[in-house]
Amino acid sequence: MYRGREGQWAFYLHRISGLGILVFLMLHVANIASAMWGPEVSNALMKFYHQPVFQVGLLFLIAGVLYHGFNGLRIILMDFTAWGVRYQRQLWYAVWVLFVLFYLPFLVKIGGGILGGSHGD
Amino acid sequence: MAIKSKRYPEARLEASTNLELYWWVFMRISGVVLVFLLIGHMWMNAVMTDLNSINYDYVAKRLSQTTWKIYDWLILALALLHGGNGLRYVLDDWIRHPAKRFWTKVVLYGLIAFLFFLGSLSLFNHDFGVK
Repeated sequence: MYRGREGQWAFYLHRISGLGILVFLMLHVANIASAMWGPEVSNALMKFYHQPVFQVGLLFLIAGVLYHGFNGLRIILMDFTAWGVRYQRQLWYAVWVLFVLFYLPFLVKIGGGILGGSHGD
Repeated sequence: MAIKSKRYPEARLEASTNLELYWWVFMRISGVVLVFLLIGHMWMNAVMTDLNSINYDYVAKRLSQTTWKIYDWLILALALLHGGNGLRYVLDDWIRHPAKRFWTKVVLYGLIAFLFFLGSLSLFNHDFGVK
């Protein structure tokens, strides 16, 4: 299940996406909390994060959250059902189907924004 | 459940086993809840809203509503605990040297606790000045 097959990729991606999300979460909390220092500080930081490079980062983040979440549900099915482990490979493909379905709206909206050159002002 | 072992090493073993089990269960429960909370959070702020229009006023308006304060605080608390514990798994795997592992944990857990405090303050203790 783990040796170089889908199961191993599922594990690595779960770990990498998890770490990535945690790093973002820390920056995100700090960013929102900056509001306590007033609109000037807060708006300057947000304008900084509206740069295209961070929006591309955001697309990666959203991909990470969706994958981590759906693969987490796969892990739960493997833990708590009798058939989960047997069908873990099929479940992993189901994860990707859900991923594409949910990711497309974000990709269109944010990707469109980047290509359309909208980054604050 | 109370620890029944009489000797410290055994007690520690027992406690750590139960605690590990609790964390294991917590990862699954918080995981399911976070999937829904985060898809909602991302949908509201990145699909229904133009990301580039997000500024202080937008955040202030959102956080003037109790619903979103609680919603966001739930994400904050669950995500930091889920992420912090996930990080512990990773550090246990990746840092072999005990002293290095210990101090890395001290620093990172400290950072997580600080961010929890900071995030909670901005959600509940800050007046955004919205009527």
